[in-house]
Amino acid sequence: MKYGKGWRDRIYAGCDLGIVSAKVAIIDNGNVLALEVLPYKGHPGRAAFEVMERALAKAGLYREQIEYCVATGFGKKAVPHADEVLGDLICHHRAVREINAHVRTVIDVGGQSFAAFNIANNGLVSETAVTDKCAAGTGRFIEIMADVLEIPVEEMGRPSFVSANPAAITSQCVILAESEVISLINDGYNRFDICAGVAASVSGRIVSLVRRVDVNEEVAFIGGVAKNALVVRDLERKLGLKFANLAGIDPQVVGALGAALVARDERRGSK
Amino acid sequence: MIVAGCDVGALTAKAVVMKEHTLLGSELIRSRAQSVQSATQVMTLLLNKLRLSFDDIDYCVSTGYGRVMVPFADENVSEISCHGRGAKWLVPTIKTIIDVGGQDIKAIYVDAKGFVKDFRMSTKCAAGTGRALELMAESLGVKVDEVGPLSLNASDPVIFQQPCCILTEIEIRHEVFKGRDSADIAAGINDYIARRILNMARNLGIRKDVGMTGGIAKNMGVVKCIERALGIDLVEFPEDPQLIGAIGAAVFAADKAAKLTQ
Repeated sequence: MKYGKGWRDRIYAGCDLGIVSAKVAIIDNGNVLALEVLPYKGHPGRAAFEVMERALAKAGLYREQIEYCVATGFGKKAVPHADEVLGDLICHHRAVREINAHVRTVIDVGGQSFAAFNIANNGLVSETAVTDKCAAGTGRFIEIMADVLEIPVEEMGRPSFVSANPAAITSQCVILAESEVISLINDGYNRFDICAGVAASVSGRIVSLVRRVDVNEEVAFIGGVAKNALVVRDLERKLGLKFANLAGIDPQVVGALGAALVARDERRGSK
Repeated sequence: MIVAGCDVGALTAKAVVMKEHTLLGSELIRSRAQSVQSATQVMTLLLNKLRLSFDDIDYCVSTGYGRVMVPFADENVSEISCHGRGAKWLVPTIKTIIDVGGQDIKAIYVDAKGFVKDFRMSTKCAAGTGRALELMAESLGVKVDEVGPLSLNASDPVIFQQPCCILTEIEIRHEVFKGRDSADIAAGINDYIARRILNMARNLGIRKDVGMTGGIAKNMGVVKCIERALGIDLVEFPEDPQLIGAIGAAVFAADKAAKLTQ
């Protein structure tokens, strides 16, 4: 334990090393100091290192100031300088409780993962559903379709993409849908219709998975796929609700923020 | 009499030309969903090579994923029938054909004449197909035709547990980062592909002799895994296994042309 330093000065970090992107949150006692996302294709550990450097630079801090760092996500064990590793669920739960206490259902759709859980009125996790059998409905599905369309993946979910005639994509399998999209392009469908079709396919798959838990309001939609406005819109329509307000926090960094909050809890608790 | 078979698959287009039950030549190009252009291109390439023209072809049968789009075909026949027929024409003792194409897996049981008696086919999931192998090879950083030879040097193959090939792709990338021997990863990929294929084949039932057609059959590693799992040797075709659908189409065309001239 350090002496001569008030807890106000203490800095805590959370790093969520996912399959396709690395996320970092840096917080102090009461404020979020930096949130950073870095998509990567190379070495996961290196991506975790780099995203941390970027977040520190943004906050004007240096690595030695971090009191405690918790790592989570698919590649959590590869995060350098992590003091502890924790499961995604704990971190997501912690962050969502902090951001919006009214949330009763959390849907997390990442690069290649899907999870949903319920939070009971007492604040504890009451029901969970996870799948890792198929990449349909995940960010990877959208990414592969973006490659085929030759547009950046962020463009796939532009809120301004309005389609009166969404293309029908009948296959759930990424590979079969990929070839369907190629055919759609060759048949002359425009990208608005195809992007709408991709969003409908993803949201359809998410709905069928979400039904494994209770869909109790409020519902938080987190993970990288939640940044796709077309999927969000389609999912809200299919579920017949509006997603919970996350106080402007990027849905992709919720896991990292949760890890940072847990880091802070642990240090305070041990004092 | 000169006949032709044209097989427009999900990833490649193939053409063969036959004269009096002898293969004159074949051609294979990559195609992706541009069925009309790919079919015309592959057939034109082949005819130019053989110094023939479209008018010299008495009858042409198309097959494969894009078979209805082939503009110069007189008739189209399903790829299940064509793989059965082509395999039987090349190897008369064959009973079971495992055809693994760019996008699906088929297990086909043929009668003494090479006509389909029963079959199974994947429809919902493309794990174990040519495109899956392609993506997995990409993750390993090698060409798709290098996965087979590379895997033969494996000492401790990786075991990939996920059923989905897209999820497995990431596992491959992580094995690469961990510094795992690429031969062991390649062997793991082949073992994974072979397990997907065997699910389909076992569902139909295995009757000897068994042959494997389609692009995946060129991967020695996958063939070896399947042979080991079934405890039998697969037949060796005298032609490129990827051309067998087109050959079957040409055999159907020869039948039809003979009937028409009678």
